[in-house]
Amino acid sequence: MPDADLGAYLGEVARGDQAAFEVVCARAAATVFGVVRSVVRDPFQAEEVCQEVLLEVWRCASRFRPGRGSAMAWVTTIAHRRAVDRVRAERRLAEREQRATAHTIAYDEVAETVQARLDRERVRRCLRSLTELQRESVTLAYYGGYTFREVSGLLGVAEGTVKTRMRDGLIRLRDCLGAGR
Amino acid sequence: MRPRRPEPHTLAGAYALDAVAGTDKVRFERHLASCPACVRELAELREATARLAGAAAAEPPGGLVQRVVASAALTPQLPPVPGPAERWRARLPMGTARRPARPRRALRARLALALAAMFLAVAAASGAIALTTEHQLGAAERRDHQIAQVLTAPDAVMLTARARPQGTATVVMSHRYRSLVLTTAGLPPLPAGHRYQVWLMGPSGDRPAGLLPAAHGGMTGPVIATGLAAGDWIGLTVAPAAGSPRSASAPILMLNLAT
Repeated sequence: MPDADLGAYLGEVARGDQAAFEVVCARAAATVFGVVRSVVRDPFQAEEVCQEVLLEVWRCASRFRPGRGSAMAWVTTIAHRRAVDRVRAERRLAEREQRATAHTIAYDEVAETVQARLDRERVRRCLRSLTELQRESVTLAYYGGYTFREVSGLLGVAEGTVKTRMRDGLIRLRDCLGAGR
Repeated sequence: MRPRRPEPHTLAGAYALDAVAGTDKVRFERHLASCPACVRELAELREATARLAGAAAAEPPGGLVQRVVASAALTPQLPPVPGPAERWRARLPMGTARRPARPRRALRARLALALAAMFLAVAAASGAIALTTEHQLGAAERRDHQIAQVLTAPDAVMLTARARPQGTATVVMSHRYRSLVLTTAGLPPLPAGHRYQVWLMGPSGDRPAGLLPAAHGGMTGPVIATGLAAGDWIGLTVAPAAGSPRSASAPILMLNLAT
């Protein structure tokens, strides 16, 4: 989808144009819903968060700066942040409810569902071009909603290493996706 | 020479993935404010994460977009933060400008009014305003003034969260006043001798932040909590009627206040 268009529509939304907002929603809803659902998992909560995200796009459209990145990146940043907030609140609640229970996360389960969701071939191919540690760090953080410290615990790798792998992984991903566009 | 510390720059990837939390996040955002190169890098990395989002795209449930568009019609929008171009344009004589300067104050006032109306409705419904003695009136007036200040703050943000097993909380927060105003709806009624207690929970520890008033029509009147610190969450617990100095029971709700 031509992102410049989406940016132009966002400009109209910032001026209170509801028809433009409908177009933005129609174009971005699947991506927003998809990324939110991968992070929060629960479909009902995903729907709720997705609505919050789209309303925030309406409310904050005037804060979108075309020079600072694409419209889709602006929207997905809002979506992912909200989804992560929600899933971390849920996890904190769960942790406090069972303080005595050992905190374990089924890594295999996360990895498996993540793989199943990656239905876009180019992104999948580019993810395969990362090292295993880069790929795991990036996907656990992005689709699992884990912090780099949690990812370090999950993978049993030093925090500093995870940090740099996330950055290197994203840079490589960006280059791969950009080159094949 | 400054002492060598871990490069904050290396956190850019983790930050683009929203994988930085708490004090790490506060520290990195402080660094970001003074590092244009990091801002650029972050923008580029976010183009990559946007593609990760796109790869997960899924059809949303039917009617979702229509519901959002309908609520948008009732939701006030934030005024733009004027960039250099807008400031320059604003200096042009009327008629030359591409469009008139936005009525920022009016918009802000509308948002404040909408929020205040909502909270006053709750306050009136819950009888929170009906206080009797002079001392109480003084305290109540002070409190109402503080509440109004938060609701009309230029940086006021509204957040909502769900409680377990049911109910919702609405928070209007102002970083400028380091305060928030909280109302709830639909929380389960409590057995006698128990109240809902508000907590601020964060890196500086869990602090009690007041008790919710009794609910009327399922809603509780506005409660103000002051002294917000970076990295705070707000939590609700069930406590003995006098309140508890420690958050002993598991919270029924937690909301991250970092926005």
